[in-house]
Amino acid sequence: MTGLNTDLSPMRSVGSGTMRAISGVNPLVIALVILYVAIIFWSDRFLAISNQMNITRQVAVYLIIAMGQTFVISSRGIDLSVGSVLGFVGCVVARMIDAGTPVPIGIATGIVLGTAFGTINGLVITKLKVNPLIATLGMLVALRGLTHILMGSTAVTRLPSSLVFLGQGFVGPVPMPAIISLCVVAICWWLYYHTRFGRYTVSIGSNEDACGLAGIHVDRQKILIYAFQGACVGLAATLLVGRLNAASPDLGLNYELHIIAAVVLGGTALYGGLGTIFGTVLGIFTIGVIENGMVLVGANFHVQRVLIGTLLVAAVAYQEYRRRQLERRVG
Amino acid sequence: MLEKNSQLLQVIHLRKNFGAIQAVKDVSFDIAPAEIVAIVGDNGAGKSTVAKIVSGAYRRDGGEMLWNGGPYEPQEPDDARDIGIETMYQDLALVNDLDAAGNIFLNREPTRRLFRFLPLLDHKQMRERSAELLRRVKIELPSYDRPVRQLSGGQRQATAIGRILLSERARLIIMDEPTAALGVQEQRKVLDLIRNLSDHGMAVMIISHNLEHVFTVSQRVIVLRGGEVAGIVSTAEVEKQDVVSLIMGGGA
Repeated sequence: MTGLNTDLSPMRSVGSGTMRAISGVNPLVIALVILYVAIIFWSDRFLAISNQMNITRQVAVYLIIAMGQTFVISSRGIDLSVGSVLGFVGCVVARMIDAGTPVPIGIATGIVLGTAFGTINGLVITKLKVNPLIATLGMLVALRGLTHILMGSTAVTRLPSSLVFLGQGFVGPVPMPAIISLCVVAICWWLYYHTRFGRYTVSIGSNEDACGLAGIHVDRQKILIYAFQGACVGLAATLLVGRLNAASPDLGLNYELHIIAAVVLGGTALYGGLGTIFGTVLGIFTIGVIENGMVLVGANFHVQRVLIGTLLVAAVAYQEYRRRQLERRVG
Repeated sequence: MLEKNSQLLQVIHLRKNFGAIQAVKDVSFDIAPAEIVAIVGDNGAGKSTVAKIVSGAYRRDGGEMLWNGGPYEPQEPDDARDIGIETMYQDLALVNDLDAAGNIFLNREPTRRLFRFLPLLDHKQMRERSAELLRRVKIELPSYDRPVRQLSGGQRQATAIGRILLSERARLIIMDEPTAALGVQEQRKVLDLIRNLSDHGMAVMIISHNLEHVFTVSQRVIVLRGGEVAGIVSTAEVEKQDVVSLIMGGGA
């Protein structure tokens, strides 16, 4: 009532007790549980197996790209160009397959092309010393333009059934894209936690100079990280084209916003050195559940954006709070 | 002549300019194997510059260096490390988000194979070997799997030492202000550690402002003033006050 301290102390003690109980758990788990309960309350279709599987299919493309972005952000970088690379690669692959290229070769070309654009990003960032934000922003703008030049005002539709199966098919009740994205998650888990590639990625994000002194080839590692992000985007592009059974020059527009939001939401720190594969999966699912649930609930599309935006800022504020707490405990 | 060849490092008439400024004018000294030597001097006396020339970070503009009696001309820090000169930087150059074992093994990570196929980092081996390395110099860390961000200053220093011990070829360790920014108890541990390194056959070159610590561990003190050697004294034979006079120059 009188002083700030007396007003705050009961709140603080309750807060810290609760915090201690859940401190090991990614806070997004709680956000997801709340979302599930809230949406079930409004829509009885939401929890149906078919709808849940639908969510995994909807998020598969995001998830694959976000895996690559987790590495990029862990290394204290950022890749804004993922949406544009997705669009360009998707259109090129669709055109090639439409013109008679066998589907496997089309997919391989997509991955190689994505890797090539990632490598260019990495080279510009390391060799020309361009800030990653600017380097990939340039790529975002330029490549979108190039995609429109390539496609004109046309779109490719009606692709071969084998490609469509990858994007729309099911194995039992499980959608193909979900299976593919889970394989990518497994590979990224291994890379991130169990290989030198993952360890150097995090280390560079934490202290680039120390890595250099330890003899790690920092530039080479960074180029590899962006190339890997590109490969993920290339694979995602072929899946997306299969799922939509079409490719237009606006393919993948604004995807980068969702991807980066999901990675940061999941707990990967923008200042590098700290990342989580599981958190990114949670982040993607949170966004997927919001998108799916809002449709079922019949909410205005723009409500989604308000929710996702608010959640993003809240998540980062929470991360900063946790970081300051940890540092205080050390000091 | 014969005795000269038994020296680990010989620095002869070293000179270094930065533009018009002569940071090091004329510096000569040697370091014997397993000897603990301190370099002291006021700010701008040339201590750090000399250390950086020896560690290969700077190239000298004049003079000569001999390593085990042979010519020593490092082009970069890797050249120094290759022959056994390791540097402990003041900021320790640790990756704060990695654990102690991860830092010790950074860029030298052992791997194992799952099902004889999938390569995995061998976290267990890294932790065990780290503990074993540090036990050799009588250090016990509370945790090898916590980010070093959460360790104390002395424990972080121990981690940096672990990195040096792992290479197993270190013969000379250059330490830049090893006791600065540490609590009193931690300072004592670091001084013990320096003695331990010497007991294990490693020479240590300390750059320090703290004469108390310098006199506690080192056998000889090299005093620099204005880029020149003002004196080289044995800590057994002189008092702290004498070194202060040398640092200040002339009348003090």
